Amino acid sequence: MIIISRSTVYGYELSMKLQDYGLTVSEGSIYPVLLRMQKDDLIKGNMQPSPNGPNRKYYHLTDKGVEALDLFKTHWEGIKHPVDRLLQDEGDRT
Amino acid sequence: MNTKMLVEENNQKRKLLNKENLAYYENMLVYIRLSYSKSDIATEEVLAEMLDHLLEAQEDGKTANDVFGDNPKAYAQEIAGALPNRIPRSFLSYFLMGTLFFMGASTIFNSLFNIILYYGFNKGDAEVNVFLGSFTVKTVLFLPIAFLLVYVIIQYLRWSAFKGINKILEFFIFWLYGLLSVALFLLVIYLLPPFGAAVNLPHWEVLIIGILLGLSGWFVLKKTQ
Repeated sequence: MIIISRSTVYGYELSMKLQDYGLTVSEGSIYPVLLRMQKDDLIKGNMQPSPNGPNRKYYHLTDKGVEALDLFKTHWEGIKHPVDRLLQDEGDRT
Repeated sequence: MNTKMLVEENNQKRKLLNKENLAYYENMLVYIRLSYSKSDIATEEVLAEMLDHLLEAQEDGKTANDVFGDNPKAYAQEIAGALPNRIPRSFLSYFLMGTLFFMGASTIFNSLFNIILYYGFNKGDAEVNVFLGSFTVKTVLFLPIAFLLVYVIIQYLRWSAFKGINKILEFFIFWLYGLLSVALFLLVIYLLPPFGAAVNLPHWEVLIIGILLGLSGWFVLKKTQ
């Protein structure tokens, strides 16, 4: 969702960007997720002609999606530091 | 972009796939398209995305296995499961369309058969006796049977999508199935005694009724798309 929030993307582009960030999910697995997020009204896809020809479905976040992403970021921050500290403690003990 | 355009584009683009990827993709396509309770446009859109993705991956030297994993059926099920449902209104119009087409086709074939028999071979009558009572019962019985028969075919195609069943065997199965279907309808016709008020209709009038039924089915189809 962070990637989609930065600029509209289409499926292949999204999977490549995820891989660039080191998220080695199987490429095809993004489509069921994209479908579910559309169902939940978090993202919206529009069929548009792409610069080099074929029509592609470009995704962008909906207002609800922006809210959900903010909420996720807050939750993540809340979890990240405690977990980091726990792991650090673990590392110090061994 | 409407559904029809997407289907057409898919047909064209699919030719660019290599043999191995094409086989993999088409199995998924059949399976996902036969998830008939799902929205048509959403189905075609995701199929287009998957095809575009596969084409780009193919150019990068990847196979369908690399992209969608080595269990195409599980993947297709996942996609079908995540697709939004068809709106009930369009479901209803497909039902209506099916009913009209089925009734239209059976009426047309029936009257054509009688017309050829009467005018070509001098057999039978110029008119057909319709017994309103048994006619109603027949129609009420035939419709669920026809829908059941179609339902079984769809389920079979979904089941066989990833099995690579021998084409000759498949032809034989369908031939047998067609024969059984016809036998089932004939059984109902012969077992049901005529009752109710009788109406005499010339064959050509029946033919016109059949054509009208078919046309209304076609009209419903056009309106749904």
